Amino acid sequence: MALTEFKKLTLDTLQVGDEFVSDDHLVIPEDIEAHGFAVEDDHPWLAEGVAPPTLMANQALHLRHSKYIVHAGLHARMEFNFLEPIRLGMRVRTRGKVIDKYERRGKPYMVTEYITEDDAGRVLIRGQFTQMIITEPEATHGHSR
Amino acid sequence: MATRVETGATIGQALPTLVKDVSQRRIDVYSGVRPRSIHSDEAWARQKGFRACLAQGMMSTAYVSQMMVELLGPGFASGGTMSMAFIKPVYAGDRLTVHGVIKDRQSDNGATRVVVEVWVENQHGEKTAVGQATGLVS
Repeated sequence: MALTEFKKLTLDTLQVGDEFVSDDHLVIPEDIEAHGFAVEDDHPWLAEGVAPPTLMANQALHLRHSKYIVHAGLHARMEFNFLEPIRLGMRVRTRGKVIDKYERRGKPYMVTEYITEDDAGRVLIRGQFTQMIITEPEATHGHSR
Repeated sequence: MATRVETGATIGQALPTLVKDVSQRRIDVYSGVRPRSIHSDEAWARQKGFRACLAQGMMSTAYVSQMMVELLGPGFASGGTMSMAFIKPVYAGDRLTVHGVIKDRQSDNGATRVVVEVWVENQHGEKTAVGQATGLVS
């Protein structure tokens, strides 16, 4: 059995080219109901058998947790290209790759490109996002996700 | 998804705003409840210098998505785009207003792509997220 080795996330430990993959997630009615409650979206998604386009966005955002111990971070930018709807009952996963890392005004950032796909490998969403890295000793604010 | 777009929607037209009350309960459901999270652990959030728990920026992308689906229906879920920058924290208890203004209509492979400038403001009139969303009118 191969075990994942988790490193503390810093600009130094992070490697451009690092690849991530989420676990598969079965989209169930409760996901859509919970999302609708959380963001006050009363669109009849369940009746239509489709999910709100951003339903699985956190699957992408949490990718770095699959390889790193993330003390804290802030989400700076998010981009989506919605290619196909996510449907109720789909099994979806998200794959990501770190495409850049940099410092700006003394703060470290990472940029990840991602795709969310169904279990046949059909791409549903493509995009990229930028996250600030806040390392443990100097963290003055931030969060674990 | 029913298509609700008015094909005559014009550049400069403001979309109906959405108002969102960002309660702690809604943040908890969106982000999950964890210790040492600025989203769900108020003591931790205060320790990190915030006056209350913060909403994820991603919640604002869901608000913009809702606005675009109301405008375009399936033309957003298949063929839509969104690019957002999160520029100010959103706190539990904030009331947000989501704005959109049609900036352009572009030809796109036989369809029309509607470009919308979007932004989110808190109850103090401060912008918390800004960006652009697009979608297709078939």
